[in-house]
Amino acid sequence: MNGAHFVVKALQQQGVKQVFGYPGGAIMPVYDALYDCGVDHLLCRHEQGAAMAAIGYARSTGGVGVCIATSGPGATNLITGLADALLDSVPIVAITGQVASPLIGTDAFQEVDVLGMSLSCTKHSFMVQRAEDLGSVIAQAFEVARSGRPGPVLVDIPKDIQLAAIEHACITHEVTEPDAPVQADIDAARTLISQAKKPLLYVGGGVTLAHAEAELRDFLAKTKMPSMTTLKGIGTIAPDQYAFLGMVGMHGTKAANYAVQEADLLVVAGARFDDRVTGKLDEFAVNAKVIHLDIDAAELGKLRQADVAIAADLKQVLPQLAMPLDIAPWQQHVLAMKQEYQWRYDHPGEAIYAPLLLKQLSDMAPKNTVVACDVGQHQMWVAQHIEFDSPRDHLSSSGLGTMGFGVPAAVGAQVARPQDTVIAVSGDGSFMMNVQELGTIKRRKLPVKILLIDNQRLGMVRQWQKLFFEGRYSETILTDNPDFVALAAAFDIPGETIVVKEQVQGALERMLNSEGAYILHVAISEEENVWPLVPPGAANDKMMEECE
Amino acid sequence: MLHHLSVSAEHSPELLERVLRVMRHRGFHVQNMQMNLVTENRQVELQVALASERAIELLTNQLAKLIGVTSVQVLEQASAAKLVAVK
Ligand SMILES: Cc1ncc(C[n+]2csc(CCOP(=O)(O)OP(=O)(O)O)c2C)c(N)n1
Ligand SMILES: [Mg+2]
Repeated sequence: MNGAHFVVKALQQQGVKQVFGYPGGAIMPVYDALYDCGVDHLLCRHEQGAAMAAIGYARSTGGVGVCIATSGPGATNLITGLADALLDSVPIVAITGQVASPLIGTDAFQEVDVLGMSLSCTKHSFMVQRAEDLGSVIAQAFEVARSGRPGPVLVDIPKDIQLAAIEHACITHEVTEPDAPVQADIDAARTLISQAKKPLLYVGGGVTLAHAEAELRDFLAKTKMPSMTTLKGIGTIAPDQYAFLGMVGMHGTKAANYAVQEADLLVVAGARFDDRVTGKLDEFAVNAKVIHLDIDAAELGKLRQADVAIAADLKQVLPQLAMPLDIAPWQQHVLAMKQEYQWRYDHPGEAIYAPLLLKQLSDMAPKNTVVACDVGQHQMWVAQHIEFDSPRDHLSSSGLGTMGFGVPAAVGAQVARPQDTVIAVSGDGSFMMNVQELGTIKRRKLPVKILLIDNQRLGMVRQWQKLFFEGRYSETILTDNPDFVALAAAFDIPGETIVVKEQVQGALERMLNSEGAYILHVAISEEENVWPLVPPGAANDKMMEECE
Repeated sequence: MLHHLSVSAEHSPELLERVLRVMRHRGFHVQNMQMNLVTENRQVELQVALASERAIELLTNQLAKLIGVTSVQVLEQASAAKLVAVK
């Protein structure tokens, strides 16, 4: 057995059945081992696509995603995906080929210092130095990727090590358990919770990463505490949960943004006071004490000092904090705001109104539908108007905001969950950033649905130009877009274009009922903006809204 | 403000880059640094003086979670001076 075969065996030992990647010189031994080994490899059409497919796979299942690339340009093409996974704490393992050890440092063909390059966009990276280390390095890579606060891990393997003979090697690695929460901290948190008159639960992606959705829902069932989520937290709380206010922050709901400013206690579960959530930090939840729960101690006190900070596994902590509360006036107040500021879908004229279309889609889509979105206005409309029962069904590049994420993430999710409907909601700008992945959809005959919301603009940037740069539309006008339906047809993906409201229902039905892939190209007005909007530098209760 | 840190870690070729990158990125400027590799147990001992307006916990928490870093200690000014003198 050589090193490459051993790598594949080590992947199998980790339970890996599916990998995404792109071959090249320095990774050829691994591709040779993949040829007939029983691990399924899907060829993506760009390494960025492979990384994002691995992210889609990981996020839609809760497992670890794997992507593979060659040295030099293959590895540099992975970088945006690694950064995306770092900012959203997604467990992926990237395996890259490296030039042979004696050539490292000689500026060899396709040699890049991948280890050095990766340091700022991975949780950890390894360069394998001896063939006998392969087993423990790969086991450790998976352990690092999925433990604690998950994240991307890179394993760079020189070609001579892939080719070296390996006789016996063990593939074990010891696993460290996180510390249990300190009882005094739990007691202090319970005291704060029991004393609060206006407590609010602020839920981030960490709850799902901790596989603590059930514990969170139990906590809510017991406390009936009003709640809100971040972009990544969407789906963690059932949409019909009592006093759930939706998303908080820049494009959050009015109810959540007002409630957070009134709250006297924030219980923060697996969230990190991101600037898109807090608006002006000094004025965020000024009346509130803070209980901050996160597995990553480095998040505690990073942006907001907590009154009680607990670095521990949410699965353990949440049940210890649940208790019935006596907060009826606050609950009623919050419910009244929720009622008053409900989304409204009345919209004049014939032109398609994207929020309404997404609401219709939300009502029609089968249970367990996965929506992978791109980045821009359409992404925020998805977050606002589609209801999710699970955070694993909402794949949105949240921390990095990576245009081009939607289609490859949908590919990864569809491969992982072949029985479920998977929809990529994209924008005309974002779609073009990884459009080559239509080739991957075609190759595997994946039934991915693409809902392309086309405003002929880099809409989110245009919105800011309109509001904050005096309408100087610098390089955001895309009236020269290609014919998207024809483009998809070139990949054997059928579809249609719709332009008026009355076409929406039928077209959504055709898309959802199509057996294979489908593109629904939706033309909307470039004038539409995402509301409400907390403008830069403002507190969350200073939201801008559509002027009639 | 000047902070003094003592960092212990398992040795790896890129360890120094990893640690220095985090220091720079999190807003701390290295003023003075000493590194020792204890070859028998492949442990690295670092003594670093850093300038920053930011609270030192912002850095120590980030360093402590690096894989391979085994301890991060903030030294009082006096003991830091003594350490440098001894070495
Ligand atoms: C890779 C990348 N480049 C640039 C940006 C900045 N950016 C954010 S949203 C946006 C416009 C996206 O346009 P489109 O996909 O058409 O979505 P829309 O806002 O029109 O719905 C841009 C350029 C980004 N987020 N990612
Ligand atoms: Mg657009």
